[in-house]
Amino acid sequence: MTMNTRKADSAKPTQRRFTTKVERLGDAVVLRLSGSCTMDVADGLTEAMVKLAAESVPLILLELSELDFIESTGLGGIVAGYLRLRRNQGEVKVVAPMPAIKDLLDLTRLSQLFPVYKTIEEAMSASSRRPS
Amino acid sequence: MLIEPTTTGIHSGRPQWKSRLKSFKEIIVRNDLAEAKGPEEQILREVEACGFSENAAFAIKLALEEAMTNAFRHGNRCDPTKRIVVRYQVTPQRTDIEVCDEGGGFCPDEVPDPTQPGFIDRPHGRGIMLMRAYLDEVAFSCEGNSVRLVKFNK
Repeated sequence: MTMNTRKADSAKPTQRRFTTKVERLGDAVVLRLSGSCTMDVADGLTEAMVKLAAESVPLILLELSELDFIESTGLGGIVAGYLRLRRNQGEVKVVAPMPAIKDLLDLTRLSQLFPVYKTIEEAMSASSRRPS
Repeated sequence: MLIEPTTTGIHSGRPQWKSRLKSFKEIIVRNDLAEAKGPEEQILREVEACGFSENAAFAIKLALEEAMTNAFRHGNRCDPTKRIVVRYQVTPQRTDIEVCDEGGGFCPDEVPDPTQPGFIDRPHGRGIMLMRAYLDEVAFSCEGNSVRLVKFNK
């Protein structure tokens, strides 16, 4: 069988680098995700979620307006943090996801676990916790 | 080469696939998630060049990430001495990808539906469902150690 065998190009990735940023908002935490959460960096999201859950924060707001991609390991990282948070009656809410990410949350039915809001203010006003 | 082109299993009775496979490009990478990005970037460049929509490119990227992650974690069990083989062809009409690992395979029908009550809050098990939801064709080999992915350019 004739086969074109070649190594992967060494060109730089065209996707945006994945970053996480934590901001405190009263007793809640805003975790801003940006870029592409791909398979090689998704463990970083799990670590960030689990670390926040270990602090027993009552509310994590996942701000996703700059997140353009996430795969199942990253989604699983969010769930892992949520499960730990839930033990202490904590919550996870999603804010401003791009349409493709919102579709992904709906398709997986994770939007049943994490309610989705358009703005941080809207998410906060829907919670019993408010900025101090 | 340890991983032979798949000409049985999912492709038995599909002579057109076996014929198409001859013209596929092939990339072999170590069982490493960072290295596994190489085939993805190369395929996505061709997908973009062939005029697939942004949504279609998102779907192909997602399915390929899921297939590569499954190969890395479940097939090759994170063993860095093993390899992942990606064969693909991108045309203006369709994208065909085959991902093969060196694992013992699995039965995809035994993987529970992660959208059913009792499974939604599980951290794992969404990869296969996402591949099937975003692509036009997803087929696993009988041995369960390779998957074929097809996305049409509609």
